Amino acid sequence: MSNDTLNLTLRIWRQENATSTGAFRDYKLAGVSTHMSFLEMLDVLNEQLITSGEEPVEFDHDCREGICGMCSLMINGKAHGPDNATTTCQLHMRRFNDGDTIVIEPWRATAFPVVRDLVVDRSAFDRIIGAGGYVSVNTGNAPDGNAIPVPSTTQETAMDAAACIGCGACVAACKNASAMLFVSAKVSQLAVLPQGKAERNERVLNMVAQMDKEGFGHCTNTSECEAACPAEVSVSNIARLNREYVRASLMSGG
Amino acid sequence: MNAVYKILGLPAELLCKVPGIGPIVKVCCTSVGQKILMALTGLSLCGFLVAHLGGNLNLFAGKDAFNGYAEKLHSLGPLLAVAEVGLFATFLLHIGLAVSTTAMSRAARKNEYEKKATKQSGFILPNGGASNLMLVTGLIVFAYLVVHILDMKLNVRGFPGASEIPGEGDKFEHVRAVLLDFKTAVFYAVCMLALGIHLSHGVRSACQSLGISHPRWNKLISIGGVLFAWLIAAGFTSIVVWPWAVVPH
Repeated sequence: MSNDTLNLTLRIWRQENATSTGAFRDYKLAGVSTHMSFLEMLDVLNEQLITSGEEPVEFDHDCREGICGMCSLMINGKAHGPDNATTTCQLHMRRFNDGDTIVIEPWRATAFPVVRDLVVDRSAFDRIIGAGGYVSVNTGNAPDGNAIPVPSTTQETAMDAAACIGCGACVAACKNASAMLFVSAKVSQLAVLPQGKAERNERVLNMVAQMDKEGFGHCTNTSECEAACPAEVSVSNIARLNREYVRASLMSGG
Repeated sequence: MNAVYKILGLPAELLCKVPGIGPIVKVCCTSVGQKILMALTGLSLCGFLVAHLGGNLNLFAGKDAFNGYAEKLHSLGPLLAVAEVGLFATFLLHIGLAVSTTAMSRAARKNEYEKKATKQSGFILPNGGASNLMLVTGLIVFAYLVVHILDMKLNVRGFPGASEIPGEGDKFEHVRAVLLDFKTAVFYAVCMLALGIHLSHGVRSACQSLGISHPRWNKLISIGGVLFAWLIAAGFTSIVVWPWAVVPH
């Protein structure tokens, strides 16, 4: 492995708080190791800013291993950077070249207001889950593991949908800021399993209603979300949501 | 813009309260419901395109064949009028839904990105392909529709061959005269290109919106949709080219 270093220009969105108008600011960063992750590079920038008495750049992060869904960032116009199936924390600086200018922006959607700098408020997703993304189970003895047979392919379908980490890259990448990939994953992971089928009608109707209420856009089937999704959630889930929705609208209630 | 949106939404809001159909209307007001309606109207219009192209291809069979077809169509009388009203309503609904969903999406992102790029690859058209050109190509097709009806049905520019009395006049000569106008022919051809682009995303997208998706069939739906789009576009374009290429005996 080579030990190259990069000299970069970072063009970063700075915004004091939710109500202030933000602007881009350029920062020079020298000697960035290509082995660093993208977030480590931002850590180095922040050290430099703190030393020079400036406010550090706020950005969301937590596990730094691609499973928590906290990190975000629009990097050179691509959600989570240039790689597919990768979160920003898994992105390495070796993907960039010496002398590059990197544009770093927050997710942009009305439903994801900027809190500060690159941090956005994604609680709209929590409210969508709250509207129906669960299975109501009365507590009691744990049922026998084999009492409800579930074919392994069905389990896999549910698991593929459940891979969604709720990072919001689908919304960020969509030209309509639509949350359909997220909502469809959360509908699908339950709708295909027997435990989730009991509430399937109310679930899809309520979650879509909440999605609209939060101010996300509509799905125009560009599949840009699928390409941006770090968990590789498929747009076939969106088709499933549509089926569930038709079914629920025609059959639910009395 | 918000006021316009409110006024446009008023009839739907009132319909929501009607017992029986209320729940269905309510569904049509959601983003998902609107896309389902968009898909249904879009596919219906595709059906019209097939029928219209099929009828128009009679032009290649000569004057008698085409005029015979036109006469048969007009002899349907009130049935044709009902079909025309239905067609008009489907177009209006499709366009209305496009306006409504676009307004929804514009509101969903008020601040644009400084830099935006696609993570998909393999597009012939730039920036993510036909799916990003639906509104503009739709508007072009709408403009075409207006010009087309003005010339073919109402004959406002006074091309020869038309008649005030339905079922009379030489439709064949009328169509030729309109298409032999160079500017009109170029406009028609460009619009058919837009139609091809529109359908190349539209058909596949409609299937997805209706939930018609399965790993075994998705490839077929994709390829079939694009093939259908360009067959329709090529079919209509061939009619535009025809009077320039063939002199009738």
